[in-house]
Amino acid sequence: MSIRLEHVLKRFGELVILQRTSLEVRDGEFFVLLGASGSGKTTLLRIIAGLEPADEGLVLLHDRDVTWAPPQERNIGMVFQNYLIFRHMTVAENIEFGLRLRGTSLTERRRRREELLDLVGLAGLDNRFPHQLSGGQQQRVALARALAYNPEVLLLDEPFGALDVQIRSSLRRNLKRIQRSLGVTTILVTHDQEEAFELADRIGILERGHLLEVGRPGDLYWRPKVSFTASFLGGGALIVGRVEQDKARFGHLSLELPDELQAEGLTRVQLMIRPEQVALLEEAPEDRSVCLGKGEVLEDWFVGAYRRVRLRLPHLPGTRQAHPVPPFGEPALLVDALLPGSLSAIASAYWAVLNGWHLLRAPDFRFLLVCFGGDTKAPHRPLLGKWLVERLEATALCLLPNEVSPLADRQEEKPESEAVSDRAESPKIELRPAGGNIAEAMSRELKRSLYDFLVLECRTDIAREDAARRFQELFGELTTALPVPTFAVVHSQEEIRHMLICTGAGEPGKEDIRLGGRLARRLGLPVTLLHVYHPQTSPEFARRHLDRAAATLQGLDLDVKLHVTAGEDVAETIVQEARRLECDLIVIGAHLEQPSWLTDQNITRRILAKAPCAVLIVPPPIELRSTAPSFLHTLPA
Amino acid sequence: MMKPEKPARTARRRPGEILAVGAVVLYAVLLLGIPLAAVLFGAFSEGFERFRTELLRPEAVSALRLTIQLAFVSAAINGCFGLIVAVTLARHRFSGRSLLNGLVDLPFGVSPVVAGLALLLLFGRGGWLENVVSAVGLRVVFDWTGLLLATVFVSLPFVIREVIPVLQQVGTAHEEAAYVLGAKPWQAFWWITLPAIRWAFVYGLILTLARSLGEFGAVLVVGGGIRGITQTATVYIYHSLDARNEVGAFSMALVLAVVTIAVFLGAEAIKRREERRRAGEGPTRQALR
Repeated sequence: MSIRLEHVLKRFGELVILQRTSLEVRDGEFFVLLGASGSGKTTLLRIIAGLEPADEGLVLLHDRDVTWAPPQERNIGMVFQNYLIFRHMTVAENIEFGLRLRGTSLTERRRRREELLDLVGLAGLDNRFPHQLSGGQQQRVALARALAYNPEVLLLDEPFGALDVQIRSSLRRNLKRIQRSLGVTTILVTHDQEEAFELADRIGILERGHLLEVGRPGDLYWRPKVSFTASFLGGGALIVGRVEQDKARFGHLSLELPDELQAEGLTRVQLMIRPEQVALLEEAPEDRSVCLGKGEVLEDWFVGAYRRVRLRLPHLPGTRQAHPVPPFGEPALLVDALLPGSLSAIASAYWAVLNGWHLLRAPDFRFLLVCFGGDTKAPHRPLLGKWLVERLEATALCLLPNEVSPLADRQEEKPESEAVSDRAESPKIELRPAGGNIAEAMSRELKRSLYDFLVLECRTDIAREDAARRFQELFGELTTALPVPTFAVVHSQEEIRHMLICTGAGEPGKEDIRLGGRLARRLGLPVTLLHVYHPQTSPEFARRHLDRAAATLQGLDLDVKLHVTAGEDVAETIVQEARRLECDLIVIGAHLEQPSWLTDQNITRRILAKAPCAVLIVPPPIELRSTAPSFLHTLPA
Repeated sequence: MMKPEKPARTARRRPGEILAVGAVVLYAVLLLGIPLAAVLFGAFSEGFERFRTELLRPEAVSALRLTIQLAFVSAAINGCFGLIVAVTLARHRFSGRSLLNGLVDLPFGVSPVVAGLALLLLFGRGGWLENVVSAVGLRVVFDWTGLLLATVFVSLPFVIREVIPVLQQVGTAHEEAAYVLGAKPWQAFWWITLPAIRWAFVYGLILTLARSLGEFGAVLVVGGGIRGITQTATVYIYHSLDARNEVGAFSMALVLAVVTIAVFLGAEAIKRREERRRAGEGPTRQALR
């Protein structure tokens, strides 16, 4: 094994830029680390090179532990994004630099230099200076310099980023040829998926510091295991559906579950359809078993060799499309397909038939559970949180306040993964003592890792007003600063049977309706959609929005009741209706125009103070927030 | 036969531009040229022979030699020391960094006379370091060592101030590339960093030289201006004037002026060469973007 990383972790202050990553690269392999900017791929490469130390973990080169060795001692060659050729030296001197440092004789150096210049196709340019060379030539000099002393490992950091497209392809082909002929183990870092496919023996997909998946290009493209890989590596539709009797159901489609998914006892599964796998017919097919339906052509793009069309097909009942996301208020199935580029005319509608597909796991929700307030006698069990985690088949981390000492003791024996028996029966809830101020621990944890929901549960013995104040301490001034949708549970509640989604005064939100709808679908709950309007205004303005909201919810196959009420005091009206309709969850958006959390006018705070049940506060859509997680399309159904 | 046209260039110059340029040139000529002319005139006012006699006086020769010695030694010291300080300030973060950075500029703000006085107090009779120095067998006050200390102090900042911006601009990326290629830190410094700051360093040295040649106040206070021992060229000029030997003073002044001008012309030549080299790299920088 040429290169091995074991649980390498890298922090920058409090932020973890590289999560515990383990990786193995074989001898002579061309491995590509593929990821967007900020995914940590360059950091990982620099750690392998020794230019940055890892905070945790081991780096092994040819079974030699080099974790603490400086770059000089690692015998690696590296090509940088901006070449970094020494400008005051000629091409020859640059290439010979590494050899000179190793004490190679003059004749041997010259011989090797000629050999390398030949290899990269720059013969005769020995005495040029870097500023006399083109970008592509400089990059080749950088490559020759890196290979001069026969390093064991070659590292390349987005080497072709600054070059023209034509030069890039020819350099790529040359690089592949050189690597094959020399057989040197190589890692290349890039954000260009085409480059990865062309060069790699295997690709590793990095996202926000996580190494999500590793595999051969073909395997990753046709049979990805993770949602992110599916959407990052090319176009296609991702649709979440149910598993019934060992078959994956998507509306009328019933597909066999592959072996690896069968054993896991899943209830949900995701279908990936690449555009190449969709056949378009003008007439209805005889065999409807793999037919998606007939759809109108929404858009088409000319891409030279082919034309890509986007069809809007009828929504498949019992499914949710994760990617591309259908527009609000129009439940439909959006599928991309390909037509030959030579086709002169495109019909306005086609029948879409599947020629192939791939099934993968649907992503889990991740919860952060925080219980606070109360005394040491009352055990701090997350009640509603536990119910949610179980019913949604999610994973969770539970932060416990320090006052609970017996638990803390037990916690020291088992710091990670395994649950402590009578505390949380579900094996998917990891318990951890907060270690200090719980508010700080919570915000640290939210920064450290990606969570889909936060559940704050408060003890029964605290007065409602106190609880609201505790929430205030935890949230700070504005509810718009909430990083994730938050369940605020001000008393003991064990389950949810009826959901109330509120679109109150001010800007009607789509995100709260979408999220509420998804949860209701997963939990199988009836939903009431409530709109409160001021008695002096007319409800007509909101009517359109409500209709679209209802359509969206119906597209999720929900049992929806619409309810429009006049009320001077929005918060008061919502609470009254919730009580009257016997709802167990009020879903509200954290609206942007609300007065500060500190004042009594803040609607969210007032609802929290008076609500008879749990409240789910949904922050503004991701695009409007300053930090945008990229898992948007992987939020589960 | 057609009359050749006037070159377009003259036609394009607007009268306002000519006036502005002319005014500046006139200002420079008046401010710099007239004193220089006065010195030249004063040196040769009694003929070339008198000029030669004055310069060949033993006191004059030793003053000039002393000045040049001091200039080169202080340039050498400030060159080495300055390089170390520059690298430390540019490349490392440490507490007290801004303090050190400020201290480097101290010689600019402090009057050289005050510097000389400080040395006098430190090393003179009853001074804090008087015993330390005499134990080693040195004399500072009224001695060459004192002159050297004073000259080093006043010319301290130049190398540092020239080198630091270039170090910062060049960055550490090339050094990292060198490390990966197998260079130890000192090797990277020698092969990669130094060549990058080469010309800034040389320019700093030249400025140090020029400043050292012209130092007066500090060396007078610390050295006492003892003829033949601590009388630098500048002090010699001062004493000559006192002794009403104007031609002697002007002659020495002329020599100093010529040497200083030569030094600066050399610096200009180096700068222009550096600019030409950088212009040659222009396309490279664009290619990298």
